Amino acid sequence: MEIVSGFVSFTVSKVLQLSRISQHKNAQATKKMEEKALEVYDVIRTIRDPEKPNTLEELDVVSEKCVEVEDLGDEEYLIIIRFTPTVPHCSLATLIGLCLRVKLQRCLPFKHKLEIYISEGAHSTEEDINKQINDKERVAAAMENPNLREIVEQCVTEPDD
Amino acid sequence: MNILHKFSAHPDTRCWYVAWNPTGTLLASCGGDRAIRIWAREGDSWECRFVLPEGHQRTIRKVAWSPCGNYLASASFDATTCIWGKKGDDFECLTVLEGHENEVKCVSWAPSGSLLATCSRDKSVWVWEVDEEDEYECVSVVNAHTQDVKHVVWHPTKELLASASYDNTVRLYKEEDDDWVCKATLEGHTATVWSLAFDSSGQRLASCSDDRTVKIWKECHPEDEQGEGRASTDPEWKCVCTLSGFHSRTVYDVAWCQQTGLLATACADDGVRVFKEDSNSDCHQTIFSLSVHIPKAHNQDVNCVAWHPKEAGLLASCSDDGEIAIWSYQSET
Amino acid sequence: MASQFSGVLQLTDLDDFITPSQACVKPVKLEKKPGKSVAKIQIEDDGSYFQVNQDGGLQKLEKAKITLNDCLACSGCITSAESVLIAQQSQDELYKVLQRNKQNSAEQTVVVVSVSPQSRASLAARFDLSTTDAARRLTAFFKNLGVHHVFDTGFSRTFSLLESQREFVERFQRKDRDKKALPMLASACPGWICYAEKTHGDFILPYISTTRSPQQVMGSLVKGYFAEQHNLTPNQIYHVTVMPCFDKKLEASRSDFFLKEADTREVDCVITSGEVMKMLEQEGLSLNDVEPAPLDTFFSSVHEDELLRHAGSSSGGYLHHVYIHAARQLFGVEVKDITYKTLKNKDFQEVTLEKDGTVLLRFAITYGFRNIQNLVQKLKRGKASYDFVEVMACPSGCVNGGGQVKPLPDKPNKELLQQVEDLYKAENTRAPEEEDRVAHLYHSWLHHVGEEKARELLHTGYHGVAKNTNGLVMKW
Repeated sequence: MEIVSGFVSFTVSKVLQLSRISQHKNAQATKKMEEKALEVYDVIRTIRDPEKPNTLEELDVVSEKCVEVEDLGDEEYLIIIRFTPTVPHCSLATLIGLCLRVKLQRCLPFKHKLEIYISEGAHSTEEDINKQINDKERVAAAMENPNLREIVEQCVTEPDD
Repeated sequence: MNILHKFSAHPDTRCWYVAWNPTGTLLASCGGDRAIRIWAREGDSWECRFVLPEGHQRTIRKVAWSPCGNYLASASFDATTCIWGKKGDDFECLTVLEGHENEVKCVSWAPSGSLLATCSRDKSVWVWEVDEEDEYECVSVVNAHTQDVKHVVWHPTKELLASASYDNTVRLYKEEDDDWVCKATLEGHTATVWSLAFDSSGQRLASCSDDRTVKIWKECHPEDEQGEGRASTDPEWKCVCTLSGFHSRTVYDVAWCQQTGLLATACADDGVRVFKEDSNSDCHQTIFSLSVHIPKAHNQDVNCVAWHPKEAGLLASCSDDGEIAIWSYQSET
Repeated sequence: MASQFSGVLQLTDLDDFITPSQACVKPVKLEKKPGKSVAKIQIEDDGSYFQVNQDGGLQKLEKAKITLNDCLACSGCITSAESVLIAQQSQDELYKVLQRNKQNSAEQTVVVVSVSPQSRASLAARFDLSTTDAARRLTAFFKNLGVHHVFDTGFSRTFSLLESQREFVERFQRKDRDKKALPMLASACPGWICYAEKTHGDFILPYISTTRSPQQVMGSLVKGYFAEQHNLTPNQIYHVTVMPCFDKKLEASRSDFFLKEADTREVDCVITSGEVMKMLEQEGLSLNDVEPAPLDTFFSSVHEDELLRHAGSSSGGYLHHVYIHAARQLFGVEVKDITYKTLKNKDFQEVTLEKDGTVLLRFAITYGFRNIQNLVQKLKRGKASYDFVEVMACPSGCVNGGGQVKPLPDKPNKELLQQVEDLYKAENTRAPEEEDRVAHLYHSWLHHVGEEKARELLHTGYHGVAKNTNGLVMKW
């Protein structure tokens, strides 16, 4: 009985030891991803709301928690942003999505793939909006529309630029 | 698969699409810079042979050569389609086809060269007819899709048209009583269908999607055992193969080599892949296996793949990084 | 829900994917109150919105209301227009008025229903009746429900045809000094008008005939002449039309046809042939079971108890009548038969008047969106050599309107369409000039109101819709 338990405890400690090593590695990786996420957040927090004088951060449309970064290898990262429109029928949600996409494309210094979603349950036509703001062809076409472009430019330009 | 060439075709912008002329001597490209460039092999490198004059106000999404190779059609986000023809040593815009309400996403010539199809975000597919005097008239406007139509392509020999849409479906059209009607709706993809390609026989159609899969659809005639018990005489298109688990992001384009039967894909994970059909796959259960995967074929999303029409295994691809790559595929054996 | 508007309108609907309530892009006017900066909005479980004031008090927020006029003036979607229409113009609204009459015998609204020739043909086909028999039974059906008068818009169409003829001759005579006098484009189809206003605006509008459609001439007749004759104010009459087409609801809602002083529309409500079917079903009736009633001849084209039609196409015969009149008036040619030459397809036909090898007049019929497109593009390129074009949004024209009775499951639409066409054509014709009662109304009523007013009663105007340039509400 004791032998068995001794064996068990040995195994357990070995497993724990191994997992601590991988935990350490994981922790390092997690830290790196958190740093990247902060970098992303720093770019998007100052985007202005298309209608109001406030920034997306001030309106709680975006927060640090809404950015997730995954390592794709080769110094490339997958960025997932989940934002929360101020009201569930907000007609400007697609425009906010457009601003996020455009600003990150311009300002982020590292190679990335970008996915932008509305945080779950935050909009009545969530799926439709998610589909539209992740369609690069629609986004490209929208940015060629002078009226849309003007608004997006206003929202993404830093005040001191 | 070896890379033969890589060159910047539309610097600082996207290269959306490339198209070989029917003889394979020229490769046309278009992009976010509103330009159309025509490339040709010069010894060991690729040179820009023509730059078409400015004809569009916005991004040029796709270009298509007429079957005779004398005309080039371009579809643009400016809601128009231009028809270009060679005059002397240059290309000039012969006609501008207007009518779509917004972005034209694709243009395709029918095998006869007398019909042209266009599609747009306005949800419609238009069929145009060209007469001997190069005058174009709209012969049909079909509103079968419920969303943005991304791609149109004609059957290689018949007057059968296929379209792919943001509404996740593929639709097929035929002429009936002097108008074009939707004859079939292929449902199965769970996200935007971006592109389509017929095989050389026209009996199979490949579709690729934002759902990260490629599907192969096969024409089944009512007399086939698979399509038994159907009243209509129209063929039914059935999904006989789904390539899933290979692509890690949106598949933007699929190309079916008319000579070798190889299937190439362009993916938003920057990769180019070539699939080969298993020799023992039966006609109702097609099996394709991944033959080649080039993970970093380009620096950014790959938007288009195009097999050379004559030289087996020669493949062109283009990307969001503005570059065009030319590849050579050698079979493993 | 699948849209019921004609294909032309559906194409201009850039509604993308957002559901109707989300799709409306009409900017709402906000009353700005000073001193309040950022207000908080609180959403209750029932979905109502409250504004949280700075003192902590709650104020319920009103939902923005969109009227059909907002929709018509907007270049955005038409999906919202559709839901608004369903609320404002449906058989339920007619039932409400009839119900009110029953409950309040002191204050009666006079209810008038004007039925279009294409609708009676559609209903006749469904119940295997002749059109006159169908019209008699419809008259009985409506009157049993409490409707006071049942008229025929074939009668008011006589005015539309006569006015079109005059307008054409007038335009033809000024064609050398006015580049946009010709081709004159017919104006009876509201789908086409709406498309022209929203998509091609000021370029195309001058070509469009100013003559009112039969429905809107009937509006003038009912809320004008009829009201006078019965000592009623226009708002004491509830005027319903029965039309083959859903787009007619849009036409009736145009501000041009709103009588400001009387605060009423010339046509209060449009119901489609299909909606009449629904009413019959609601009452548990087949038209075959309804005992026929005599036709209401006050505003109807009737000869020996049989309804009459106009010659030419089943879309009103505009080309036919303008052509015959123009040949006579302008060239002294009496046309006996008109030969239609089919061009690209059956919905694109041409008629020419030639003399000694020269073309004097070139008329065309263009139905359906594809043919309208080619016409518009030709006009833009200066290659449209027509003098008059009968333009209709639906393929096959008005008998094939989107509001017609749908075919039974075992019947192909093509077959039904032919049957409706045959029924329509089975009626005897009468030339507009031979309608004595119309001539009389011109002479008495219209002459009496004066030239300017008469023009107002028989003509209308069009308004280009500016493209939306507000990025905030733009759909992409």
